[in-house]
Amino acid sequence: MSVMIARTFKPSTLRRIGLGLCLALAGGIGWAQQGAQPEPAAVVEPKPLGGPLLMRRLTESQYRATIADVFAPDVAIAGRFERGLREDGLIAVGTSHGSMSAFSLEQYDVSARGIAAEVTGEKRRAQFVPCQPKSESTFDKACATRFVTDYGLKLFRRPLSPQERDRFVQVAQAAQAKLGTFHQGLEYALIGMLDSPHFLLRMERAEPDPQQPGTMRLDGWSKAVRLSYFLTNTTPDAELLRAAAHGELHSEQGLARQVDRLLASPRLASSVRAFFWDMFQFDGFNDLFKDPAIYPAYTTAVARDAQEQTLRTVVSLLVTQQGDYRDLFTTRETWLSRPLGILYRVPVATRNGWERGEYPANSARAGILTDVSMLALHSHPGRSSPTLRGKSLREIFLCEKVPDPPANVNFSIVQDAVNRPGSTARLRLAEHNDNPVCAGCHKLTDPIGLTLENFDGAGSFRAKENGAELDLSGSLDGKDFSGATGLGQAMHDNPSVTGCLTEKLYRSAIGRDIAGNEEPFVEYLMGRFEAESFRVPALMRAIALSKTFYAVSPALDQGPQRTAAAAAKKGNRS
Amino acid sequence: MTAGDGYRRRAFLKGGVVLSAGLLLASASSERAAQASPSPEAPRQATGGLQNEVFRNGEAGFVVTEIAYALGPDGKDGACPAGMSAGVRGLIEALAKTPAGQRGADENQQSYERRMNMAVQTKSDGQNICLNPQGASADPGWRMVSGKVKVDGFDLDAREPGASRSRRVDTCSHEEFQGTQGERGVDNQWYRVVGCTTGFQSSGQANSWQTEMYTGSWGILMTLKGVDDLRNDPEVQIGFYANADPLELSAARAALPYATYAATQDERYRATTRGRIVDGVLMIDPVDLRFHNIVNSMTDDRILRAARARFRFTPDGGITGLLAGYTPVENMYDLQYGARHSRNAKGELAPERLRLGTSVGRAAVLGHTCNGAYQALYQAADGDRDPKTGRCTSISTQYKIRFAPAFVVDARTQSVNAPLALK
Amino acid sequence: MTQLNRRTILRGMVNGAKVGMALPFLDIFLDVNGEALAATGQRLPVRFGTWIWGCGFIPERWIPTAEGSGYTMPPDLEPLAAYRDQMAIFSGFDVKLDGVANKPHMTGNLGLRTGIPVPTETVRAPTFDVLIGEVIGQGSRFRSIELSASGIERSYSFRGAGSPNPSEVSPVALYQRIFGEGFQDPNAASFTPDPRTMVRRSVLSAVTDDRQRLMRTLGAADRQRMDEYFTSVRQLEQQLELQLQPPAKVENFTMPQAPAETVVDADVEHVMVNHKIMAGLLAQALACNQTRVFNMLFSDTASNLRRSASSDTHHTLTHEEPVNPKLGYQEQVAWFAAKSMVACRDFVDALAGIKEGAGTLLDNTLLFAHSDCSIAKSHAVEGIPMMVIGKAGGRVRTGYHKAGRADAASRVGLSIQQAMGVQVEKWGTGSMDTNRTVTELVA
Repeated sequence: MSVMIARTFKPSTLRRIGLGLCLALAGGIGWAQQGAQPEPAAVVEPKPLGGPLLMRRLTESQYRATIADVFAPDVAIAGRFERGLREDGLIAVGTSHGSMSAFSLEQYDVSARGIAAEVTGEKRRAQFVPCQPKSESTFDKACATRFVTDYGLKLFRRPLSPQERDRFVQVAQAAQAKLGTFHQGLEYALIGMLDSPHFLLRMERAEPDPQQPGTMRLDGWSKAVRLSYFLTNTTPDAELLRAAAHGELHSEQGLARQVDRLLASPRLASSVRAFFWDMFQFDGFNDLFKDPAIYPAYTTAVARDAQEQTLRTVVSLLVTQQGDYRDLFTTRETWLSRPLGILYRVPVATRNGWERGEYPANSARAGILTDVSMLALHSHPGRSSPTLRGKSLREIFLCEKVPDPPANVNFSIVQDAVNRPGSTARLRLAEHNDNPVCAGCHKLTDPIGLTLENFDGAGSFRAKENGAELDLSGSLDGKDFSGATGLGQAMHDNPSVTGCLTEKLYRSAIGRDIAGNEEPFVEYLMGRFEAESFRVPALMRAIALSKTFYAVSPALDQGPQRTAAAAAKKGNRS
Repeated sequence: MTAGDGYRRRAFLKGGVVLSAGLLLASASSERAAQASPSPEAPRQATGGLQNEVFRNGEAGFVVTEIAYALGPDGKDGACPAGMSAGVRGLIEALAKTPAGQRGADENQQSYERRMNMAVQTKSDGQNICLNPQGASADPGWRMVSGKVKVDGFDLDAREPGASRSRRVDTCSHEEFQGTQGERGVDNQWYRVVGCTTGFQSSGQANSWQTEMYTGSWGILMTLKGVDDLRNDPEVQIGFYANADPLELSAARAALPYATYAATQDERYRATTRGRIVDGVLMIDPVDLRFHNIVNSMTDDRILRAARARFRFTPDGGITGLLAGYTPVENMYDLQYGARHSRNAKGELAPERLRLGTSVGRAAVLGHTCNGAYQALYQAADGDRDPKTGRCTSISTQYKIRFAPAFVVDARTQSVNAPLALK
Repeated sequence: MTQLNRRTILRGMVNGAKVGMALPFLDIFLDVNGEALAATGQRLPVRFGTWIWGCGFIPERWIPTAEGSGYTMPPDLEPLAAYRDQMAIFSGFDVKLDGVANKPHMTGNLGLRTGIPVPTETVRAPTFDVLIGEVIGQGSRFRSIELSASGIERSYSFRGAGSPNPSEVSPVALYQRIFGEGFQDPNAASFTPDPRTMVRRSVLSAVTDDRQRLMRTLGAADRQRMDEYFTSVRQLEQQLELQLQPPAKVENFTMPQAPAETVVDADVEHVMVNHKIMAGLLAQALACNQTRVFNMLFSDTASNLRRSASSDTHHTLTHEEPVNPKLGYQEQVAWFAAKSMVACRDFVDALAGIKEGAGTLLDNTLLFAHSDCSIAKSHAVEGIPMMVIGKAGGRVRTGYHKAGRADAASRVGLSIQQAMGVQVEKWGTGSMDTNRTVTELVA
């Protein structure tokens, strides 16, 4: 199995070969599309199947956005964050698996103490504390209760149980007794809430579904949380919490009202940005290193701005202009900063910010695949890599898994020839691929990556490599083309591209992998995506309005106490 | 820039832009940039290399990456047959031979040294010599370059060949050097003055003032327009500007090509002139230039009057050569010796203590005396003769200079240094 | 049999045994679990100090040619070879000026210590030793102690603009201040726990209050994840519990003798003597918890050190001495640079000479040694040499050379603060603004 190539996305509409041996592919056996006629996409949502209740950890960007929304954007977060766990290509999926190390908790506690001190401190307490104690030196239970109740709702994204509420009020009382002042009491109660798993983890709850007796549904609060983090990458706002409290999210109209409201909010851009940052695997920039002697223009500022450039293009095209997702691969619009200007060799008048730029019609660049971010991230420290570029393109945009090379390959041919006059990556790889063990997988990656060879390992343009002219011909899934713009067009026209995006966006939304029997729903989403001219916000709307997105069938070992009504209706669960 | 890569700027760009892909000076002329022809046309390729990437529509921008005085050989290599300048130590040694220079009975070594040091740096009226060099006594230990040595530089008092406007500097007679390539009549009186002081030897530290350019304190930009042929072109336009942005550096602290820089908006540090390319050498009509210079956190202007150039294009897309002209003696004295008019970050006269410490400190470590330097400068001055006194007031100065290709924009944008600027 | 999967490894425990994986801050827990306890059973405090020498270094004699732990000890660091495993060498980190005028010997030095380069001595933030002192210096007799070995009564520890912490320049005066009137036997010192620590402990127990109920609601996989969360809470509780215990009693503490009068001036041989005496007194003061923070100025940044019978100072030599064409550097300047590292060794010897628990005082100290510039003749603030010496009670990792590749030097300052428990996520301004921890030093 180790040399198998797994296509994680395999909706039947495309009838793509899901699995195949690299070696078999090397021998010319399929990866071709079978069945020329796509079946009509489902226009009605299939019967929802329901997944497990999830316990997802807030990502760094979600934690930051949540604190900014619950308190204020300028409340400092002093702790550091562990790098997100990437599962099956997405950190969003990793949040359902991620562990919580002692380091993490220590850092969450650092943040909590900083936030609580600022919120309850003399300077800003009028802004954040909803009531004034009768006196600073005697405990005001009513005010403390109000503080705990208000922030409990916002931080736990649901009302506190009476026991929870009393516990944090007691913390405030005990802290005041020890330290002397009322607000110090509140400070420590708030630290407790911020350190709590109910804040750090999004713990979903189910309740019996009154419309379908015998089955369970997400409670309104949990629906609000799923919806909010999916569409806005932050905690439910006051209006959404109100709707949840009134059960409005259980009705189609009530849900649609909230969905459309959130889609119209400026927070949508944050959510789209966070998703694509994750999908593009930009966390890889944390440990990307370029040899400064070979790529002097690649600096820390370039690494930062390269990511921002691509994300700006994404938000601009997909959100601001409500454009077609496929145009990301062909668009000539882009964004520039001064540090990037050095790598792209273009003037950038704006000193401390961004300006619109354009890849001219006669240039070798078009689309985000020719952005420095993509080119540099998937290269070696001192040279480009058609193989890494091809591999990442298949994994990120086509939802395919290309196996890692066997451990015992002799790379000396490739290494030795890197700087040989007249040597090009194409020639080196041809030598390397005399070895049939290697040739199979390289056939999947290199014909894509070689078309990007007039960009060096840092993403700068080069007309030649080692003095030799570059052959930029290549192919993708049977389609021949030349150069990066040809690749962009081929990606634009490749049906797997939109299918893969649909699947990844849905997996990101639900924080888990898709089970085999959920394929019909993904096909349904693909049909909706196509019908909406591949506008990503429209796809998000289709997901957010679907029944499947909220459907749960708690796993057998998810105990009955997880359901809100369990205490009242003991044993009412199949 | 090749058609193969890069962006075309959007027409709506505000502010004003751009060299290389269309030089645009002065923010008011942004429309002109917008109308610039989109079809790039590189000048006829004669030098090979990257020059055709650097020029677009006959325009290109450059940033100075290396600049230093062009000097001749060291004293030990024949420049100073009469020996090296003795500097402050020489004055102290001379004083020690006089009755006034004897150590008193109740004087310890430290206070004796301090007294001697003060004595040789103070005029009879009690003023410090470095900050008040006029009327100080002569320094018998000063030595000028007197050897028959070959020197980097070119002839500054000849008429600039092909110059469209005749602008001559009134000169004073002086002995001229032979050039390192055999040229005659090389004017480099600045070398004559400093060639025998220790600080200006090749192992010395007086000629490394570009350090502050690499920390971003100052910089120099140049623009070329109307270049049709890199080998021979009878008329091109040249602009010199102080850089409003810090030099962009690699992790190894090398200047990066193709960075964008804004020209200063301060008219005093902007100058344009015409020039021509003759057999691959770019020459310019004499033009008065003024740049910034920063030492010890204090700013002075670096002035070069009637500046001319001998520039060659290099295969890496840059330019190298000589920039030469006449530096007013009073300005050169402030730059290299007594910081009489140096300004602080706010543009005010810097504290006297700092100016004094810098001036006296320089004398101590660079092997000169302030009075000797002041007198030698006037003695060697060869330009801008004052018709009343008949005395020259500026000194021929040659700079070795190197440029990297850059994008020079003329936009009024906020400085990157703003967050750090003092109130 | 316990299955060794990713999760159990990340949790760092298999059947209760420690797994040798580089978990962030795992070292701390080892300490917390007992290794860094004194023989008296008391917790050992962590100390922080700076040690500065002036006028930089000779790069080719100081920077190891290889990165990581396998480097060959360069000639000028040879005196410190005995501390190789307790030393992290940082080369190639820059103070980024962003065009701020470089006041020689000052801008780089204060930029390094405040994260903000200034063209004067007017700092725009406290130096980071002060920030660290606010965290670890509580409860000791002196918030910090400043020392200067070359007779110059100044320090580069600033509480704010115009508020430097002045240095002791005389060993005798230093002795008087610490061990004279007001000194109490540490072994008899009374102890009052910080009430805020007690409150924090009670907060954590409130957080874990409904653990049993919560666990019942979870499926097996999530139960395991939640179990880990509670394990992490427990670790934090343990740290707090230790902070509530009385501080370490000092083993074998004997009152140091008052030093004899010495000549205080800038003659390098005198400076070496005074420096050594002061280091010894300081080490004793640290051991008996008189202070936890110190700043030692071995030579001023425009180093006034000179050799007997020579009128040249280290500083003037950097500007005057010609480069020896055969060596490629200034020979006399190199002598002073090498001498500075011998002095550094003397200082570290003093810390390592005091036994604490199973190790030495050095094991519980983070000593940050640095200069004001890299190449003094050009006052370059790029690549200022820096070292972290000592293990800080396991809070930092040492034993390697790290090349900064022109990264902002503030990364090191940020990381040290984080290691010392300062709640800071980002530090510095402009190009010195960083949130990038040096992960080799702290996780």
